[in-house]
Amino acid sequence: MRRLTLALAFVASVGRAAAAGKPAATELAALIDRHVETRLAAEGVRPADPADDAEFLRRVSLDLHGVVPTAEQAARFLADPAPDKRTRLVDALLADPRYGEHLADVWQGYLVSPLADDYRVRADRFRQWLAGRFNTATWDRTATDILTAAGKLDENPGVVYLVEGRLPRGVPDLADLASRYFLGVRLSCAQCHDHPFTAWTQQDFWGMAAIFTQVQTPGRPKLVYQIGVRDDPALTLASLQAAGTIDGFLARPPTFLGGAEWKADKGTTNRAALAAWLTAPENPYFARAMANRTWWRLFGRGLVNPVDDMHAGHPASHPELLDLLARRFAASGFDLKALTRAVVSSRAYQRTSRPGGDDPAKQAALFGRMSVKVLSAGQLYDSLVAVLGAPAPTPGVDPRAGARFEFVQFFSDDGDPDPTAYRRGIPHLLRLMNAGQFAGRPLAALAARIATPGRSADEVAGDLFLAVLSRRPTADERRLFQAHVGRAGSLDAAARELAWALLLTSEFSLNH
Amino acid sequence: MDLNLDRRGFVTAAGATLSGWLGRVAAAAPDGPRPKACILLWMAGGPSHIDTFDPKPEAPADVRGEFRPIDTAVPGVRISEHFPRFAKLTRHAAVLRGMSTLESDHKLATYHLHTGYQNRAGVVAFPSLGAIVAKELGKRDAPLPNFVSIGRGPQEALTAGFLGPDHQPLAVTDPVRGLDFIAPAGSPEQFGRQVDLARQLDGAFHDQYRSAAGTAHRTAVDRAVRLMNDGQKRAFDLSLEPDAVRAAYGQLGRAAAGADAKTGGGQPGGFGQGCLMARRLVEAGVPFVEVVMGDGVGWDTHRDNFPRTRALSAECDIAMSALVEDLRGRGLLDTTLVVWMGEFGRTPQCTGGGRNHWARAWSSVLVGGGIKGGQVIGRTDRDAAAVADRPISVPDFLATVCTILGIDHKKSNRPPGVDRPIPIVDTSKEVRVLSELL
Repeated sequence: MRRLTLALAFVASVGRAAAAGKPAATELAALIDRHVETRLAAEGVRPADPADDAEFLRRVSLDLHGVVPTAEQAARFLADPAPDKRTRLVDALLADPRYGEHLADVWQGYLVSPLADDYRVRADRFRQWLAGRFNTATWDRTATDILTAAGKLDENPGVVYLVEGRLPRGVPDLADLASRYFLGVRLSCAQCHDHPFTAWTQQDFWGMAAIFTQVQTPGRPKLVYQIGVRDDPALTLASLQAAGTIDGFLARPPTFLGGAEWKADKGTTNRAALAAWLTAPENPYFARAMANRTWWRLFGRGLVNPVDDMHAGHPASHPELLDLLARRFAASGFDLKALTRAVVSSRAYQRTSRPGGDDPAKQAALFGRMSVKVLSAGQLYDSLVAVLGAPAPTPGVDPRAGARFEFVQFFSDDGDPDPTAYRRGIPHLLRLMNAGQFAGRPLAALAARIATPGRSADEVAGDLFLAVLSRRPTADERRLFQAHVGRAGSLDAAARELAWALLLTSEFSLNH
Repeated sequence: MDLNLDRRGFVTAAGATLSGWLGRVAAAAPDGPRPKACILLWMAGGPSHIDTFDPKPEAPADVRGEFRPIDTAVPGVRISEHFPRFAKLTRHAAVLRGMSTLESDHKLATYHLHTGYQNRAGVVAFPSLGAIVAKELGKRDAPLPNFVSIGRGPQEALTAGFLGPDHQPLAVTDPVRGLDFIAPAGSPEQFGRQVDLARQLDGAFHDQYRSAAGTAHRTAVDRAVRLMNDGQKRAFDLSLEPDAVRAAYGQLGRAAAGADAKTGGGQPGGFGQGCLMARRLVEAGVPFVEVVMGDGVGWDTHRDNFPRTRALSAECDIAMSALVEDLRGRGLLDTTLVVWMGEFGRTPQCTGGGRNHWARAWSSVLVGGGIKGGQVIGRTDRDAAAVADRPISVPDFLATVCTILGIDHKKSNRPPGVDRPIPIVDTSKEVRVLSELL
């Protein structure tokens, strides 16, 4: 939140500095809206109303920074009368280092195995390494750095995702990761059998897999600690099979997906050749995969779904829009911030998620309204800290691994969740309701700061709603609180109970 | 303390009533045969098979180690001298000496043994055995969760995966302290007021947004409040057990004879109290409980193999034997399968007083659950380095556990967003159920 304060302070200056990239983003946003709205009109579906300022502020803060705004930030934004305040907010959020940190958090979840040895420290270092790249580098550069990372664990955090347990990540797993996250296709089912619905065959899978044989250390567990990750040209699928490192594979030379000609000099590693092929502007997968994934992350649903299973059997809902986004993304030199700026500047992104009209299902399917997303474990933790301050030590919460790490482990069990799927159950809710970590002292302190002597129930309710939900209470909600003061016995007690209740609402747990 | 939260329909919305609770934890099945349950005793770190259930007195000294084998209740079946109490119970047990698995890294092996699958980067987030049993045997509307883990478990392996949050394990980190976060911070009245207020505040949001995620959140809140308000939560409270019973599972705070401080477990005796809690939970109808022995180093005896294995064995022998005897005394042993295993065995060669990881040949133990006991299945060679007869793969093992529990291991799930069915146990290679146990 300190960073967001900084970000808002930057609003004026950065707004001007970033002006160079803005016309392109504005133009692309307009094109996005033309595609979406033409389709809505053709299908006779009325789009939802625009999101109000509070809904937009909370949404874009969670999407770009992974955290809700503080009460002060919300108050300032809501009070700002300037018509271009949303544009300036987006510019400030994108210019803030927190943007890269959040994206790195998301990608760390995709790429680093929870079975990585010394997972906590290494995942953290990988995240920091990635954050710098998301903040400053274009996506082709970042993807290349990830795909070709080499060296010792202590010297290059980029290799962290290439290690699992005390071994190099297995060949099939690496083929899976590369194809899903950089090409937007799932080859894994073709590991064992030709895919029934697509063109992918076992040949395709094992051709891609053969690219990752060079980082293995057959028969030498822990060797990766001594020499780090490096590419040994002598290692092939055949030699790995002979060493018993993998079984059940199809012997294939390294082959780019789709059979593109393998262009690599003798001295080039397989992974470097893959990165060069992948990030070439004419590559048919790379830009589309990231365009679709960015849309998926921000809208909660891809233009193609599942987001990482793009093939003819899963047509895009808006094929021309996807083509456009991929084309512009590649033409911009894979400038992910520019793509993100365009998407969040569109009317489509800035609609409410309240369903309306005659056909709410169709309205959602055609991006006529925003979907309701679920706060990830990391977003939930960071938002609780933003609202309540530092967590209190709590029996039953092991502090050794670090509070954020422990919390994220407890609240999530999947590094790549569907953004709209709610994945919490009894253990998580018991903890949210009853653990002193946030619901104890931090919550009481927030209430005490707000319910100072002499303030009215309405003032207290107003500040608490702003602090927790980033909006003002409705008249009904104010009345509810007034009645609650009577039941709780004092304004102070009622404030504490309201803060607790607000943190337990669906509204707080969701990004609407 | 029972919370009276029924007013305003918050709890009744979840279908709970206090009147249905009979005041006893024991919830005997009303009709028909009792569904089976499973208690997994997870030996974190990987116990030496030679020093526990596959002794090799004929092997060279640097292989056979310091321990002697002893006779058990079943003629011809011999185990380590540090399991004297369990030796009297082997007629209920099957010792599987042919475990032969593929991963010899702690985390990778732990994941493989729990989920049955090795691919971790793919689209499919595989569920842990506990989640599978919870889904197949658990009651959907029960106030108690269907999967409970006790002790500091291997988090990355104790996952519901694609089966979703209903089958996530409820973790009890310290059985003596009981279930964390089950009691509200303030008074029950205050808690009731707060929940009411949250419910009312939520109402407008639900009316306006009508989102599936919001409904799921509200259901999760309802279920958690319902458990707080339900008498069955007493299953987590060991103070309700007579002192004699608690003592039978191992004295808390007192290390077993021969133990030093280096066993790496939680507090000495904690595992035994975890076993007791597992019995209470199974009695109350929970179908799967995993009790973890060995936080941190545990059975990972690269150094000081003999003193540490001796101490861990002594604590384990008392706890596991007490559990089996207690289940038997309550008529629950035939319907409760107790599984003893770690992620792998340890090297035959003992170098510098320690043994290293060994996945090619090792042992696990099954007790109760209606199996034909008194058996040893599989055989290793002279040095317990390789399986000479009846090798058991991870899918063979999990398919056997499923079959004993009455679960069809070939049954498939359809994870959301995945085009293909995922069988409970990986059937891509031939799976051999240990039919001699059935």
